Amino acid sequence: MIRTKPFTLAAIGAFGFAALVASGTLATAAPSASATISARQANFKKIGGAMKTLKDELGGSADKVKMLTAAKTIAAVGRAQVKLFPAGTGPSAGVKTDALAAIWTDRATFDGHMTKFIAEADKLVAAAGQGNAQAVGAQFKAMGATCGACHRQFRADD
Amino acid sequence: MTETTTGGSTRIWDLPLRLFHWLLVALVAFSWWSGENHEMDWHRLSGYCVLALLVFRVWWGFVGSRTARFAQFVRAPGTVLAYARTLGTRPGHAADGHNPLGGWSVVAMLAALAVMVAAGLFAVDVDGLESGPLADYISFDQGRAAAEVHEAVFNLMLLLILLHVAAIVFYLGFKRLNLVRPMITGRRARSEGDSEHGAAADVRWSPMLALAGIVIAGAVAWAVSTGFR
Repeated sequence: MIRTKPFTLAAIGAFGFAALVASGTLATAAPSASATISARQANFKKIGGAMKTLKDELGGSADKVKMLTAAKTIAAVGRAQVKLFPAGTGPSAGVKTDALAAIWTDRATFDGHMTKFIAEADKLVAAAGQGNAQAVGAQFKAMGATCGACHRQFRADD
Repeated sequence: MTETTTGGSTRIWDLPLRLFHWLLVALVAFSWWSGENHEMDWHRLSGYCVLALLVFRVWWGFVGSRTARFAQFVRAPGTVLAYARTLGTRPGHAADGHNPLGGWSVVAMLAALAVMVAAGLFAVDVDGLESGPLADYISFDQGRAAAEVHEAVFNLMLLLILLHVAAIVFYLGFKRLNLVRPMITGRRARSEGDSEHGAAADVRWSPMLALAGIVIAGAVAWAVSTGFR
């Protein structure tokens, strides 16, 4: 038993290394438009879920940890979103997306919204970190206004 | 009117029922407008009013005047079928309130509205910004599913309203029966068949029971709007 152990460990190691190399290769290859669209939709759902958590907490027990976690999720996922709108992932991608073509024809405005979004999300994290429900509530509204402003301009209304 | 009248008129819809009907028309229109325009504070308020109206209507379906009661207008399938076979004949005979087919149309509209209000109470918008007062009892994904139901039933509701209006136009144009005027004035002309249906008498209702219904409806809608907190 003891003799076979190093061999087993080596086998696992080799397999793990191979998997790492393989996944590394996958990560460097450009993901398909549909994969990018799915990824950003999943991210927006995370943001939506975090916003709901904040709203629930603000209307309920205003739990500091829950609010801070949610705010951090929004800030972190928001930063990831910036990279998930490459050219070719709009309505012409052939996958269902509410992203309007205006994102790519008016990119500067869109990027401006994204920058504002992250700034507001950071302020939300700061407010949540202080644990002041009133400040979180005010920043939640500012955050929501930023979401809405971009969505009105760049997302199909469903 | 080509129907034979025996002179005079009879009251077939009580005042609370008519108020219910026209307030509901206004609120459904306003809910539609406020929903489409993302006026969610107004949309929620409108929904609470619809909820209050529904609660009142159910109450009134048990204690209201003769023609308001479920027991009077929810008829057995055989009666409905027999009535449906007479649809092609004219002139039509005025019914004592809802006709057997129309009764089920009312049930369908009330049920659709109830599902719509219930789903709306739990609904969450795609951004997690706006939600019904009961949404914090469920997850984001469940809230999104509720919003989907809310929207799907709305389309069904539009279809039922269209059917309702089409039926009214059919009765007016083909059967020569004006169903709109009685829903405004409460009265329709007496017709020959009234006595045999026992429908000659004016409907009667109790203001005290109506008041009790308004209080119950308001209390329920208010409690729900606060999320029971």
